[in-house]
Amino acid sequence: MRGRSWIVWIAVVALVAAFVVAVARPKSDPAGLPTSGNVTNVQLLSLQKSGARVLDVRTAAEYEGGHIAGAENVPIEGFTQAAQAWDRATPVVVYCATGARSLNAAQWLSANGFEHVYDLTAGIVAWDGELSHEAATAVAQAPSEPTKLPVFYEFFTGW
Amino acid sequence: MKPVVDRLEKEYQGKVEFRRYDVDKDAEGQKLASRFNAQYVPTFVLLNKDGSTAQTLVGEMPEARLRAALDALR
Repeated sequence: MRGRSWIVWIAVVALVAAFVVAVARPKSDPAGLPTSGNVTNVQLLSLQKSGARVLDVRTAAEYEGGHIAGAENVPIEGFTQAAQAWDRATPVVVYCATGARSLNAAQWLSANGFEHVYDLTAGIVAWDGELSHEAATAVAQAPSEPTKLPVFYEFFTGW
Repeated sequence: MKPVVDRLEKEYQGKVEFRRYDVDKDAEGQKLASRFNAQYVPTFVLLNKDGSTAQTLVGEMPEARLRAALDALR
């Protein structure tokens, strides 16, 4: 009997260890979401809630016509240049109207070292959540706002 | 271009607002560059008081060219 009790103890310890590993694993993926790839509307919201950036790669006019609340507008035309200096560890979700432009953006991000890249493949045409009609962020809106003085913008790099 | 633009900024102080962004380091600059479709550096975008785009100049510019663009702003 004493020999059998040791076997039972070993089995219990093994079960506890397996449980601890199973509980610990979700730390890297708290919402049970994929680490990269295509996402649904619901998954996009979960990712956004957990700190992912949501990027609308359509034009400014399309963005202002209605976009996912909290999304940043980075049109595909200047996307790669804008993305050069972004933090590659921050999860990024991209979307456009139907998934064509966002696919290009997602592929570029993945090829350029971004660790967690998600694409809302169905695009905003299939979005069933609320749409924000706020204009682009204050920064993006600035160019069309009248100012007291004419403005001279210079975009440069240090090299 | 920095010494040239530095000089112009001083010269046009009170007449034109200068907003200069290092797009490698400045997230706000990156957003604005996207907004203006500025694909190359340097790019200069000049806006009139009413917010309309007067000129977009891409690449290294002679000082006289920048000065002419500044003088044409309304």
